[in-house]
Amino acid sequence: MSNELEERLDAIFQAVRDFAQDRVAELVRHELALGTDAETVINDALIAAMEEVGDEFAAGRLFVPEMLMAANAMKAGLEVLRPSLAGHAIRPVGKLVIGSVYRDMHDIGKNLVAMIMEGAGFEVVDLGINVLPDDFVAAVRAHRPDLVGLSALLTTTLPSMRQTVEALRRAGFNGGILVGGAPVNQAFASAIGATGYAPDAPAAVALARRLMQEGRAAPLG
Amino acid sequence: MSQSAEDAARARLSRRERLRGAPAGGGQASPPSHAPADASPAVRPHFAFLSKDRVGVLRERAILLLAEHGVVVNHAAAVGRLKEAGARLEGNRLCFPPGLTEAALSALPNAVTLCGRSPAFDITLPRPDNTFTMRTGTGAHGFIEAETGAYRKLVLDDVATIAAVANGLERVGIVAHPFVTGVPELTADIHGVAALIASTPKHVWLQPYGEENTEYLLRIAAVAAGGEAALRARPIVSCIVTSFTPLEFKSMDVEAIIQCGRLRVPIHACSLPTAGGTAPVTMPGVILMAAAEILSMAVMTHVLAPGTPVIATPLIFGLDLRTGRSLQASVEALQGAAIAVQLMKHGFGMITHTYGSGSDTPDVDGQSQAERALLGQIVGLAGADILGGAGQLECATAFSPVQAVLDDEYGAMLQHFLRTPAVDDETLAWQDMRTVKHGGNFLATPHTLLHCRANFEPLAFQRLGREAYEAAGHRTALDRAREICRRLVDEHAASSPPDAVSLREIESIVKAADAQILKGQI
Repeated sequence: MSNELEERLDAIFQAVRDFAQDRVAELVRHELALGTDAETVINDALIAAMEEVGDEFAAGRLFVPEMLMAANAMKAGLEVLRPSLAGHAIRPVGKLVIGSVYRDMHDIGKNLVAMIMEGAGFEVVDLGINVLPDDFVAAVRAHRPDLVGLSALLTTTLPSMRQTVEALRRAGFNGGILVGGAPVNQAFASAIGATGYAPDAPAAVALARRLMQEGRAAPLG
Repeated sequence: MSQSAEDAARARLSRRERLRGAPAGGGQASPPSHAPADASPAVRPHFAFLSKDRVGVLRERAILLLAEHGVVVNHAAAVGRLKEAGARLEGNRLCFPPGLTEAALSALPNAVTLCGRSPAFDITLPRPDNTFTMRTGTGAHGFIEAETGAYRKLVLDDVATIAAVANGLERVGIVAHPFVTGVPELTADIHGVAALIASTPKHVWLQPYGEENTEYLLRIAAVAAGGEAALRARPIVSCIVTSFTPLEFKSMDVEAIIQCGRLRVPIHACSLPTAGGTAPVTMPGVILMAAAEILSMAVMTHVLAPGTPVIATPLIFGLDLRTGRSLQASVEALQGAAIAVQLMKHGFGMITHTYGSGSDTPDVDGQSQAERALLGQIVGLAGADILGGAGQLECATAFSPVQAVLDDEYGAMLQHFLRTPAVDDETLAWQDMRTVKHGGNFLATPHTLLHCRANFEPLAFQRLGREAYEAAGHRTALDRAREICRRLVDEHAASSPPDAVSLREIESIVKAADAQILKGQI
């Protein structure tokens, strides 16, 4: 890789780190015009920047809005690259189906985790709120995710979380099931057979990454 | 005799009376009592973060937001009635013209009596002494054992413990039900309230967990009150109704307004915005959100349940923007709580309730004391009529009876603050000051004698010297609070329960609720 190309990729990397959506789009457009292939831009600039952002977020040095803004900047670059990627799928870090469990109408924690996971390079299928166990099962069959994330804010909806885990396991889903929310803790997660519990969004990302690395996240067989 | 001297004399007399009532053998009187404070001012001392002009801006914007952007009300019948009353439906949003909002505010009762099952525990708000009452924490699903400090799930038997402690705490006027485990989750509120109402003669706060549940909760209250007419005349319960921030109302909460209105059960119109999450990250925006949502509930009550008392209940949360965790006691949330109280109390003239206790730490530790001491002071001085959350920890998800005892002690201190003394010849000890001799003192003057028992005397807080402290085994306020807690549980368990017939009827309501609500559960 030439020094000039490296410098230009560094500039894209830095623009993601600066949360500068427009600048990222402009630099990526310029890079394509110079003939650089899309996969180089993605891997050496956009994903590389987000990996660093993810590490800093997990370490508590970056704040939630900063992580999300960086993710938006990366997406702005991906949008420019999309036409050049026809026939070349971008490989996500992993795929996550997420939702607030049945009878739980709260979505801010779930949305936060979904956005953060997306920012960390996961493909996220958000089922929304008040999701029945059977709908989680149907989504797992349709999307074949590596991980499922279940959220509950209310103590009254914890039974739905347990029922969803049971339904997913009965349906043969052997991948990672991540649970979280105000009334959830590790003891509850273990008791209902979830793969892991995350007390907050950075911990959810760290857990998801670890499960992917350990190969404990597996799609429906 | 001047007013303050009369009060001091009254204080002395009532203390003597308490001492006469002390159990034989030199034991302490029960319930534990703080020395009464000095004179009550005609006007409550007031601390305000915002000028009147800024309060005016927030007031104007809240009304404008409801007029121009409105709210979503997920209750078809209520939407119809609100439209008839002048609300405008735009898409799925219901906008309230300023005239309707102002009419609702004007129609609100400016005083409310929250009755105890025993009239001795009735509370009229605003309180005649210009202070506040306290409420125990609600919704906790974790319990911190008094003796060991161990954390575990909160179970139904703990309700009686919480009630016993609350029964003996003088500042606590309202007892809330926690979230009990070991019973069906969907009817946990009904099980909790049935247990609570049987264990306390004080006012009980209801928090329905489902749309169907409100009816059963009110039926239990009616039985305990002696029938629906008796409940209407003497509301021994009040009910929280909450918005679904931002600017939305679930059918359950709108239905609760309607059902409470039928029985004139006072409503705590509660908004729980989270800065940076469900509300703007800056506190004025959070408070605007809370105000608009509370006003919406005032309008809905005005139209759907006219005449029902509404208590503005802003509960302000922050968001840890590093992690996304909700915070009850971040410094921004504390300031926001005080500003919200100032706005609802002084900007809108509503009776106001907010957290006066609480912490983000999971345990009874130094942080929990510091955070609730800051919170209680600023919301108390801002004008709150009800200080909620006694005993709660970990952002309102855990309850500690020992912390509740300490919170009552803070409450007593705060009430003392709010009773600022008069400044007159008597309190200046003007005569003594003009005659004090070189090297003299005030230890044995008639004036000192008159006031010597009026100072605040802590029950849990320690004032031991080093030697006494070490001789007592390094006993701290926490140890003393644990002792008080133990005594309250012994002395106030099952205080004045309802009669056996009522208890059987309440039990049958709980069974009926389980049968109906759990039917067809997934």
